[in-house]
Amino acid sequence: MASRLTLASAHDLDLAAQCRAGDRAAFGELVRRHGSAVRTFVRRMGADSATADDVAQDAFLTAFEQIADFRGEGAFQGWLKRIAGRAYARRWRREGRLDGAGAADEQGDASVTAQESGAAARIDLDEALKSLPDSERLCVSLCYGAGLSHAEAAAALNAPLGTVKSHVKRGLDRLRQRLSPGDDDGQRRQVNG
Amino acid sequence: MAEASFEFRLERMFAEAPAAPDADLFAAIVMSRLDRGWTARRALIGGMGLVGGVIGVTQLVGSDAFAHLQTAAGRANDILTQELASAMPPGLPLGDLALEVQVIWMAGALAIVAAGFGIARLFREI
Repeated sequence: MASRLTLASAHDLDLAAQCRAGDRAAFGELVRRHGSAVRTFVRRMGADSATADDVAQDAFLTAFEQIADFRGEGAFQGWLKRIAGRAYARRWRREGRLDGAGAADEQGDASVTAQESGAAARIDLDEALKSLPDSERLCVSLCYGAGLSHAEAAAALNAPLGTVKSHVKRGLDRLRQRLSPGDDDGQRRQVNG
Repeated sequence: MAEASFEFRLERMFAEAPAAPDADLFAAIVMSRLDRGWTARRALIGGMGLVGGVIGVTQLVGSDAFAHLQTAAGRANDILTQELASAMPPGLPLGDLALEVQVIWMAGALAIVAAGFGIARLFREI
């Protein structure tokens, strides 16, 4: 019990150092601490709950294997998200989903238009991401959720850099529209009126 | 400027995530998968070690290495006994102690075990 309390109060860097020494209880604490964030992040990339859990579990196992690579230069959670992001991008690549992104984009445009006309509920990041076409959602999440550069995201997806850049740009434009502060004000006016 | 501000805001929103109610269950699943992986790995390494050991012993037996070792150990024992006998003072009872081959082997084995414990302790300390 005392050791659990000690682990719970330890800093991520200390826990990672203990993991490097083979302490699996320390790794268990890191999983408890960051599991929800990693699962949420994978869901935000577009995975359903079951896939998100699978990818997140794989990401944690990979993190344990590669714990020596974590030097503490950034946040541990960011490092985990980069691993998870690359793992989910690998799935995408295997399924060849980026190749069919053009068709998905058209569907995405239609759904955005339909949702924009409704817009009754408060739109948060999760809802806004759902309104993006899959490829844009993934590229934006990789760059702004996992902190990958455009080039790193392109490498993870095995896609041309220009394609990734245009997906990110279009995705950002859509998100800006959906998440702009004026959107909330407009809704409030509608409710009050 | 507005662009950078929105990107910063987006990164902050991505960093915010609700705590899942089944976080402990998720952690337990990850740890059990980790354990399973380690058990499988240990079994694989153990199996490979066993196969390697069997092959090694077969090779040793086939090449009469034990007979050669016994002869060499006997010779070493003779030399050691002679050296001890000449080095000991004549009245000392230890000088009469006959050194058997088995005694030397056992001392050697104990030294190896002690060294093994020492190395294991050292690794734990590091």
